[in-house]
Amino acid sequence: MRRVFALTAILTILGIANAHAEDTLSPLHFQSQGPLGTIDKAAAQRGYEVYKSVCAGCHSLGKVHYRDLEALGLTPAQAAGEALAAGGTLNSPIKGAAPLNMGGAIPPDLSSIAAQRPGGPNYIYNYLTGFGPAPAGVTLLPGHNYNAAFPGGQTAMPDVLHDGAVTYQDGVQPTKAQEAADVAEFLAWAADPNLDARHQIGFRAIIFFAFLTIIAVASKRKVWRTQA
Amino acid sequence: MTAQTNQSWAASRLPCLASLCACLNARTMAPGGSYFAAFPFLIAVLAAFLSLSGIVLAVFYNPWHAFASVQFINRDVNQGWLIRTYHATGTTLIFALAYLHLFRSILIRAYRAPAEFSWLMSVKLLLVLLLTGWLGFVLTGGAAGHLSLVNAANAALSLGGLPGAVGLWFLGGPAGQGTLARLEVFHALLGISLLLVVWAYFASRKAAAQVEPAKAVAFYPYYLAQYFAALAVLAFIFVLLGFYAPGVSGVAANHIPAGGLALPLGAGVPWYLAPAAGLLGVFPTAKLAVAAAIVAVVLLYALPWLDRSGPDGAKGKVYCFFTWVLALDVLGLGLAAAGVLPFSPVLAVLFTGWFFFHFLVLTPVVTAMEAK
Ligand code: HEC
Repeated sequence: MRRVFALTAILTILGIANAHAEDTLSPLHFQSQGPLGTIDKAAAQRGYEVYKSVCAGCHSLGKVHYRDLEALGLTPAQAAGEALAAGGTLNSPIKGAAPLNMGGAIPPDLSSIAAQRPGGPNYIYNYLTGFGPAPAGVTLLPGHNYNAAFPGGQTAMPDVLHDGAVTYQDGVQPTKAQEAADVAEFLAWAADPNLDARHQIGFRAIIFFAFLTIIAVASKRKVWRTQA
Repeated sequence: MTAQTNQSWAASRLPCLASLCACLNARTMAPGGSYFAAFPFLIAVLAAFLSLSGIVLAVFYNPWHAFASVQFINRDVNQGWLIRTYHATGTTLIFALAYLHLFRSILIRAYRAPAEFSWLMSVKLLLVLLLTGWLGFVLTGGAAGHLSLVNAANAALSLGGLPGAVGLWFLGGPAGQGTLARLEVFHALLGISLLLVVWAYFASRKAAAQVEPAKAVAFYPYYLAQYFAALAVLAFIFVLLGFYAPGVSGVAANHIPAGGLALPLGAGVPWYLAPAAGLLGVFPTAKLAVAAAIVAVVLLYALPWLDRSGPDGAKGKVYCFFTWVLALDVLGLGLAAAGVLPFSPVLAVLFTGWFFFHFLVLTPVVTAMEAK
């Protein structure tokens, strides 16, 4: 009975988390966020596509390997194919740019960027969609672009995303906002690849220790009753 | 039956086993102890747990590439992230229990004769924990830990004389290449020595316990059952924190590797170091801060003698009230150090002043008044 109950509880919670997996834009949200979050693998796979075709030109992703992509639902053969296409093996880090220097600004490695910036994927989304014409009164430094989300308002990174910057294989429309949201979810996974495992183990452990606590307290009371 | 025979077989060949069993079964413990009295036991369990998880981490840790090796543990070592989560969550919980245990000891005046020594060991426990916790924070190689290390090393440099020499010997000069390797040794040594401190605490608490023989109960099965229940609750809180709030024991800026050009804003320290950081932070020079730390430690150690109520003084309401105020004061120091309170720098000075005022003035005066 208890098992059935626990199972239903897990399924309900996972179900709630999965129910939004399709449309992540209205309203904007990331399935990986929140205490019961799980990585949205479809979004993260699309985000990998964005990283590969747009961001890798300037950024590296040195701590993530091709073998790790299997956690996003790629088959070992697909992951090996990705590695081969980039001239590496399953154990090579995902291909990115060699260290660049763009007028004094260095594109940071993106492996942990979602953990390093307050707001995580939300910030990355706002940053990638925050470019625009500088408001009156703002003088841009040479080689810089106005960005509403970036601290200080100007960044050396150009506005790189636009509608159709990539082609998605799963039929999702590659709008600029969709690309930004997908690559943000991908980077959230890259920064915390153990998120799913942690939440899954945690859920089981909590149920286990809840019952253990009840049993331990009951047995303590029983033992102490004989003492009087 | 067979268990009985087995026991005597082993016990006759290893007599200390028999005395251990006898001591577990001896009716020497107070009847109906509070669950809170299990805190030191839980601290001992956590200290052992941290030592074990720490050994696993030490196998993979590389002080010359600290940040990268922590990333390696998190990402590439099988279940490395799990062990690291255990170590971090265990740290948060052992500090929480140590703070609560000290607070409760003051509140119920568990430090009074003949239990002074268990109080001294409780204070020592917190001091060793603070040092070990700080070293662990530095060992991560993150930007926040590195900043803290550079500040400490610079302070040690500026001290001069014997304290400066000791500080330099301990830290190995301004945060250089070999510094983390040496700090790793101290971290492990101090961490494992926690077990000794806890053992001394238990031994002294046992010696000080005055239990009426007719009412006393045995550890086995009574307190074993109680401690097990306490442990189950602790484990429950542990998994809740560890799996759903793994960030509680760290600071965000430590996700950034040390040595970058940009200094992280509001780098800060983990919550468990915050009260101490708040207290030290109000003093303008390193000399004053070290002096204040020494005075604070001496005052804590001296508490059994600052309490003027005598061995059978009544338990006073006013003293209880001020103990709660002290708890809020320490909490406030931590919050001020984190900069989350408005006027944090001013408040930190006030809270620091109150801390010394509590022990130097309030404790002797209030206890003496209430004893009458
Ligand atoms: C033309 C080169 C270039 C491309 C392509 C590029 N970036 Fe950047 N990126 C930069 C540079 C340069 C910086 C450093 C900006 C600065 O410090 O002013 C940067 C900074 C960043 C930052 C850090 C912002 C911060 O808060 O410090 C993030 C996040 C980021 N890029 C994400 C991306 C993503 C995601 C993509 C792919 C969609 C991408 N970048 C594509 C050059 C690039």
